[in-house]
Amino acid sequence: MDAYFYIILVTGLVSTVICLAAGILKKAPNDTTILSVAAVEVSLLVYLVGSIVRVAGGEQIAGEPWEFWGYLLTAILLPVGAVYWAILERTRWSNFVLAAVGVTALVMAARMNQIWY
Amino acid sequence: MTAKPSHEDIGTTPGAAPSDAVTGSPDAAGDASAAPVGRDTRNTGPGRLLIAVYAVFAISATARAGYQILTKFSEAPLAYLLSAFAAVVYLVATVSLAKSGRTWFKVSVAAVLVELVGVLVVGALSVFDAVNFPHETVWSLFGRGYAFIPLLLPILGLIWLYRRRPAPKPASAS
Repeated sequence: MDAYFYIILVTGLVSTVICLAAGILKKAPNDTTILSVAAVEVSLLVYLVGSIVRVAGGEQIAGEPWEFWGYLLTAILLPVGAVYWAILERTRWSNFVLAAVGVTALVMAARMNQIWY
Repeated sequence: MTAKPSHEDIGTTPGAAPSDAVTGSPDAAGDASAAPVGRDTRNTGPGRLLIAVYAVFAISATARAGYQILTKFSEAPLAYLLSAFAAVVYLVATVSLAKSGRTWFKVSVAAVLVELVGVLVVGALSVFDAVNFPHETVWSLFGRGYAFIPLLLPILGLIWLYRRRPAPKPASAS
């Protein structure tokens, strides 16, 4: 597990906890929950840029490269889709949708790490 | 899951639901008339979360099945076809839950029931006949590789569909 994974581990867990709490408190998606998901998106973009730099620098991905990139690009689309789906209907349930992003990104980042090493 | 005050629109127009049902043509009713038939949509409130989780499973199951079939299909054709079948079921469930109307409701029920049977049968086979089912699918070991969400999802789906079932048609209709 590398630094990219741990960054996503932290932002993902924090985002999920914030969004879950907001949902349990019956709040609609607000700046806090949406920004926490944005933080997950930023950490995924950092992972993307970092991975491009590493591959360009000659590092080899141990597993299937296209599987790695498939996971990464799908993960990057998730927060965008979830925020879109959440703001179409601003109820507490949309915060649970946002909460799902953090854990999903976390699981996918773990898988990406497995593929890379 | 407490009683939600958001459906007053149904209460205020008690005649609306049955008469709407008579006019039939559930597909057309969905998009065009938008608001009136509150009960005939399942994509609000908890349903949105359900659809989001189904969508994630549709994506991951499709990607996984595609990967397995493209790279190592001959290793375990049955398991990988099962993966593909699961992917299709998740796709149908996602789309049908997001759509409104009676027909899509029936499609949802069918998809979720197939999913429930699938996860139970494949889960049981992978436990009791591990020799013939050694290859992973979403439903293997009752979805243990996915935190048992594949087992939980159809149960929650059926509860949600039951709570949002369309108003019954008038008895004389048939």
